[in-house]
Amino acid sequence: MSETQAAVRTKVRQKHEASRFNRSQKRREKIFRIAMYVLMTLIGVILIFPYFFMVMKSLMTSEEVASAEIVIIPAVPQFVNYLRFFQDEGYISGLVNTLYVIIFNLIAVPLSATFVAFGFARCDFRGKNALFAFMLSTMMLPSVVTQVPLYVLYSKIGWLNTLYPLTIPNLTGGGAIYIFLARSYFQSLPKEIDEAAKIDGAGSIRRYFYISLPLCKPIIIYIMVNVFNANWGDFYGPLVWRLDDSFPSTLAYRVFYMVTQTVVSADMVNVRMAAGVFMSLFPAILFFIFQKQLIEGVAMDGLKG
Amino acid sequence: MFSTVKSKTETGTAEAFASRPPRKNSKLYKFWKNNREGWMFVSPLVIGLAIFTVYPMVQSLIWAFYTYTGNRYYFVGFGNFVHMFTVDPYFWKVCGNTCFYAFLSVPIVLIASYLLATLVNLPYKGIGIFRVVYYLPCVIPGIVSGLLWKDIFATNGIFNSLFALFGYHSEFFQSPSMYVAISSIFLMNLWGIGGGMILWLSAFKAIPTQLYEAAKIDGGGVLARFWYITIPMSMPMIFFNVVTMLIGSFQINGTLVYGSNGGKGEEEALYMFGVYIYNEAFVSTKYGYASALSWFLLVFIALLTGLLFFIRGRMNRED
Repeated sequence: MSETQAAVRTKVRQKHEASRFNRSQKRREKIFRIAMYVLMTLIGVILIFPYFFMVMKSLMTSEEVASAEIVIIPAVPQFVNYLRFFQDEGYISGLVNTLYVIIFNLIAVPLSATFVAFGFARCDFRGKNALFAFMLSTMMLPSVVTQVPLYVLYSKIGWLNTLYPLTIPNLTGGGAIYIFLARSYFQSLPKEIDEAAKIDGAGSIRRYFYISLPLCKPIIIYIMVNVFNANWGDFYGPLVWRLDDSFPSTLAYRVFYMVTQTVVSADMVNVRMAAGVFMSLFPAILFFIFQKQLIEGVAMDGLKG
Repeated sequence: MFSTVKSKTETGTAEAFASRPPRKNSKLYKFWKNNREGWMFVSPLVIGLAIFTVYPMVQSLIWAFYTYTGNRYYFVGFGNFVHMFTVDPYFWKVCGNTCFYAFLSVPIVLIASYLLATLVNLPYKGIGIFRVVYYLPCVIPGIVSGLLWKDIFATNGIFNSLFALFGYHSEFFQSPSMYVAISSIFLMNLWGIGGGMILWLSAFKAIPTQLYEAAKIDGGGVLARFWYITIPMSMPMIFFNVVTMLIGSFQINGTLVYGSNGGKGEEEALYMFGVYIYNEAFVSTKYGYASALSWFLLVFIALLTGLLFFIRGRMNRED
């Protein structure tokens, strides 16, 4: 009797201890969780701060920008800086040129990339694998190797000081990575739809336009967003393909020019920051709209290993 | 009668001529029929590669052995390369800078983004918001982040006024010391580790959780689990990106934006190979020498990539 009682007592005690252990573990977990949240918020604040600082600086008066003391929040937000940005001849003509380039490329790159990718994914032809491997190997090629001869070539055919070097080469697929991604996407689609259309007598061009192209909307969106971002922020292309100062500047190049000027009057610094905010606005909006596709695209990029 | 016969044969040959193409047994015809569709679809690529890749590559290889300044060629044999390795006052400095940058920036970004990814891989509520916030700096164009960080790192910028509280001051990008100037780029790159974070997250997703559970039961610690499970399992995904990141780092030209003296930095502390080629080609118009430099970079990158793939192959075999 007493033995069983003792056994029960030890059991109860064990239970108590276990629950106490559980409780303390839970508490520790809770503390850990709070600590992690604090850490993550801190990192988030640090990462967002530069951007916040840029927005603030774009709203400062010229005196606040130039003052020796650091001002973080302007006394009165100067939205007039944005007005001045839109009235600046250089920025606006740059913006117009950028839009020309982007609209052309937004159509040319997805179309040509999926066109070529269709050939790789749905047609059989001699030399396909060799061509594909060669295309992939060009991804590893440093672009500086082709720069100098292309510059000379463009100068001979009168392409310098025009927007052609930024647009026409994109008619040929727009880059190995897009073709690669579009091909992988085509291959993930069921081949039966394509074959059914083939049996019904649809030619390959018709199958590409009416069957495959409408199905690859996600990859087209991914390509388009990336093309937009790449061309929107490209200052190096216009820098290389310019001959003299009469060349059509793009917005990114204009910002680059304003940044690298050794002497900038203080009243242009805040307008420059306004240009920076304006330039990062559209990529951010695109990211928020197409978040899912873009992140999946990054994951797809990773799969190619 | 004779004439009718003749006319018959004539019409016969004419008919035969009109319907000549379907000589279906001819090998050439078969080849054409089987391949024309595919080649039609890839023809834009073929044309593009020919004009914008193969032709310039061959041309710059040829020019690498010439002195060419825009109007006249002089064959100099290996003269450009000899000049590069022996006389050129910037070459070794630029090589050192670029190697220092490339070989350190990739591991730094990888490690930092790995840590960040493990953090946002926790199964907590609202973790998605943090992921978005961390990725946000990546969507900002490089030119804008250059503009922004040049301002932040300015002599009287916000970082220096923060440092002044601790009685410290740094010149960052404008430092004559290569270590300080290039480390400032690392600091700036840390701002954009969201891209690496996404990459690691997708790699994590591909690893079955049972592996970790099994390792836990067997008594594997955090480090052991990282070393024996996370690294080998995410290797296929990470490896290719490491290679492309490294190749990209060797061609960095962002210093044009934030480096003083036209991207060189003070005392060439920020002078990178890509900017050097740009200057030689388009500022000094030494096309031949710039071609030689770019081919040097190409061969170097090719050897490095080959080495990386070789090491990876060895590692796979050992497993």
